[in-house]
Amino acid sequence: MQSHALAIGWEFRKRHAWPLIAMGVYLLGLAVFRLVFYVPGEPITVVPPDGRAATVIAPLSWAFFYYLAVFSFGLSGDLGARQSIFPARMFSLPVRTAALVGWPMLYGTLTVGTLVLATTALARWPWGIEAPLFWPALFAATFLAWTQALMWMPYGLPVARPIVTVLWLAVLDAVVLLAAHFKVSEPVMLAILAPQIPIAYLVALYAVARARRGDVLDWRPRFMRAAAVVGTAPLRRVAFASPARAQFWFEWRRHGRTLPALVVMVLPFELALFWLARDAPALLLELLILVLLTPPLLASVIAATVSRANPMAPDSHAMSPFVAMRPLSSADLIAAKLRMALWSTVATWLVVLIAVTLVLQWSGTWPMVQQRVSRLVEIVEMPRTIVFTLLVLAALVAATWKQLVQSLCIGLSGRDWIARSVLVAVLVIIIFSGPVVQWIVDHDSARAMLWNSLPLILAVLVALKMLAAAWVAARLTRSGVLSDGALVSGAATWVAGVFALYGVLAWLVWGPLIPQYVLVLLAILGMPLARVAAAPLALSLNRHR
Amino acid sequence: MSASVSVSDPVISVIGLSRRFDAKTALDSVSLVLAPGAVYGLVGANGAGKTTLIKHILGLLRAESGSVRVFGLDPVADPVGVLSRIGYFSEENDLPGWMRVDELIRYQRAFYATWDDVYAEELRRSFALDARARVKTLSKGQKARMGLLVALAHRPELLLLDEPSSGLDPIVRRDILGAVIRTIADEGRTVLFSSHLLDEVEEVADHVTMISAGRIALSAPLAAIKESHGTLAKAFVAHVRSAAPLSTGP
Repeated sequence: MQSHALAIGWEFRKRHAWPLIAMGVYLLGLAVFRLVFYVPGEPITVVPPDGRAATVIAPLSWAFFYYLAVFSFGLSGDLGARQSIFPARMFSLPVRTAALVGWPMLYGTLTVGTLVLATTALARWPWGIEAPLFWPALFAATFLAWTQALMWMPYGLPVARPIVTVLWLAVLDAVVLLAAHFKVSEPVMLAILAPQIPIAYLVALYAVARARRGDVLDWRPRFMRAAAVVGTAPLRRVAFASPARAQFWFEWRRHGRTLPALVVMVLPFELALFWLARDAPALLLELLILVLLTPPLLASVIAATVSRANPMAPDSHAMSPFVAMRPLSSADLIAAKLRMALWSTVATWLVVLIAVTLVLQWSGTWPMVQQRVSRLVEIVEMPRTIVFTLLVLAALVAATWKQLVQSLCIGLSGRDWIARSVLVAVLVIIIFSGPVVQWIVDHDSARAMLWNSLPLILAVLVALKMLAAAWVAARLTRSGVLSDGALVSGAATWVAGVFALYGVLAWLVWGPLIPQYVLVLLAILGMPLARVAAAPLALSLNRHR
Repeated sequence: MSASVSVSDPVISVIGLSRRFDAKTALDSVSLVLAPGAVYGLVGANGAGKTTLIKHILGLLRAESGSVRVFGLDPVADPVGVLSRIGYFSEENDLPGWMRVDELIRYQRAFYATWDDVYAEELRRSFALDARARVKTLSKGQKARMGLLVALAHRPELLLLDEPSSGLDPIVRRDILGAVIRTIADEGRTVLFSSHLLDEVEEVADHVTMISAGRIALSAPLAAIKESHGTLAKAFVAHVRSAAPLSTGP
C-alpha cells in the first residue's frame, strides 16, 4: 500500500465491493435481456409508476442506501451519540484531516454517482426510457456528501444527529423534487446541485476537525437545569417488580422509543400537506392513506435494529454476553421484546391518531372526511362502518407490530448467512413482483385466472405456513426452549385469534362472491405464527452457540 | 490429559469437553471438577482456551462433545438455574454504555433474589462510582469496577473472572483481588479466576489448572505445584511453554 488514499480505498473495497459488482452484473444482464429477448410493447414510464420499473428501482434503491450507510460510517457508529461517528481509530493516522474527509467523500460520491449514472444510461439505452442523464447522478452524490457531513458532525445533544440529518436531507429532497416537478432544465439542475458538494466537504472538514481534537459541545447541562426548574428532573426510581419487568424496561430503553420518535419526525412534513388539500378531496384521501401507512413502513425500516442480536456492537451478529448472561429463559427474553414492540406500536399510533385529528380540525379538512364517512354509512350502514373503520385501524396497528417483530427470528439467529440470504430473497421478490403485478394489471385474462385461483393460492400459502409452524413447534419441543404447557397455551391463543378474526370478517363481508372458507384461509394467514414462534428458537441458537 | 478433584458435590463438572471452531481445535477432551469453597486459578497463554472453557461453563457455548454441569445443572438447558447463582466478570466487559450507574444497579438487582443492596452501595462508594454517570463515560478502570460490582453484589455461589485485570492499573487490580478475597471469606463460595498473570493467580489461588493449546497441561493444588517446581512461573515454563499452541478461541 503506497499511499493513505489507496489504504482508505482498500478498506472500503475489501468489505463493500460485492454489492457494486453484483449491481453492475445485474444491469449488464438487464441490457442483454433487452437487446436479445425483450419484445418492445408499451413504453415503460416512471411517472405514473410502471411495475416493470421495479426491476431497476428496487435494487438501485437498496444499493444506494447501503452505500450511504457504508461511506458515512453509519454501519458501525452510534447514531444517537453526541460524538462524531467518524471512526476514532482513523484520527491517530498520520494523515491531514482534509485527506481523512476527502478520500471517503470522493470514493463515496464517485461510487453512488457512477451507480446512478450507469442506471440512467441503461434506462435511456437500450431500454429507451426517457430519463435525465446527469442530474440524478449528481443528486445522489450530493445527497451522500451531505449525509457524510452531517453524520460526522459532533452535536451538543444526543439524538440531534438523526433529526438534523433527516430534516436537512428532506429539505434538499424537496428542493430537487420541486425543480423536477416544474421541469427545470438539466443545466439548471446541475447548477443547483454542483456547488453543494464542495460546501458539504467544508462542513465535513469542520466536523471531523472538531471531532479529531475532541471538541464536542455538551448542551445537556442547560436542558437538565431547565428540567429541574420546571420540576421534571430525574425522579428516584423504585425497584423492578420482576426480572421480566426489568428486561422490558431494558428493551424499551434500547428500542421502544425509536418508532414513535421517527414518526414524530416524519409526520409534520406529511401533515403540512393537508393544508394544500383543503379543496382537493382525492388528494386528502391519498395523504390520509400515506399518513396511516407511515407507522408500518417505518416499522419495517427499524425492524433490523430491533432484531439485532447485539445492539452494543453493530458489526457483530453474535449475541451480547451481557444479555446472554441474564438469568432469564430465551422465551422470557423474547417475551420482553414482543411486549416492547407492542407498547412502541401503541405509543406510535396514539401520536398518529392525535396528530391527524388535530390537523384535520386545524386545516379545515375535517368536513371532507365527514362527507366521505356519511357516504360510506349510506351504503353499508352505521354498525358496519364503525366495525370496518376499527378493523382497518386494528389491521394497521397489527401490521406495525408485525413489522417490528417478524424479523426477530432472522436477526437474533446471529447467523450472517441467514440475514444475507433473506435480504437477497426479499430483493428478488420485490424485483420480480413489480413486473408480475404490472402484467396482471395489463391483462384481463390474467386477472380472471388469478381471481379463480385465489382459493388454491391461499390454501397453498396456509399449508406452507402450517408446515413451517409444525417444524418450529417440533424444534421448540425438542430443544426445551418452550415448555409443553407454553406451547399448548400459545397454540390455543393463536386458534382463538384466528376464530375471532374470522368472525369479524364473516360479519363484515357478505355476498356470494367470497366463499366462507376463503375468509377462514385469510384469517389463518393474517394471524402471526411461525416467524414469531421461531424467535425464541433463533435466540437460543445464538445464545448457546 | 485431564485433572480432577475428588468431591461428592462439585460446583463445576466438565467431562471430556471438546470444541472446534472450523478447522481449529479450541478445547480437546478437557475434564475438570471444581469443589466448593476454594479459589481456582486457570492459567494459560493468550488463545490457550481459557475463555472458551469459561463460556462453556456459562452456557454461552454448547458442548460439541463431552458434558458440562454447573451446580449439577446443564447451563444450556437451564440457564436461569445456573446463571442466577453465578457472578461473572471479564475483560470484554460489555456493560450497556447508555445506562447510568444507578440504573444498571437497579436493573441488575431485579434478576437476583440474593441481591444485597447494602453491599452494592458499599461497593459503589468504595469504588467511587458516581450514581448518575453513564457507563460509557466511565474510564476503563471505573468500568472494570462497575463490572465487578454487578458481579459481586448478589453474593454469587460461584464467581467467574475471565482475565479480569487485563490492561488495568495496579489500583484496580488490587480491587479485583480484594473482591476475590472477600468472596472467599463468604463461606462455601467458589472462585474460578482465569489469567495469564501468574503472580496474581499465585496470590489468591488454592488450586491451579494450566491450560495449553486446548488441553489441561497441569492441575494441582498450588502448594503441591510450589513444592515440586519452586514457583508457579517455573511450573508454567515446564508444562505450558513447551506445548505448541493448537488453536485460538472465538
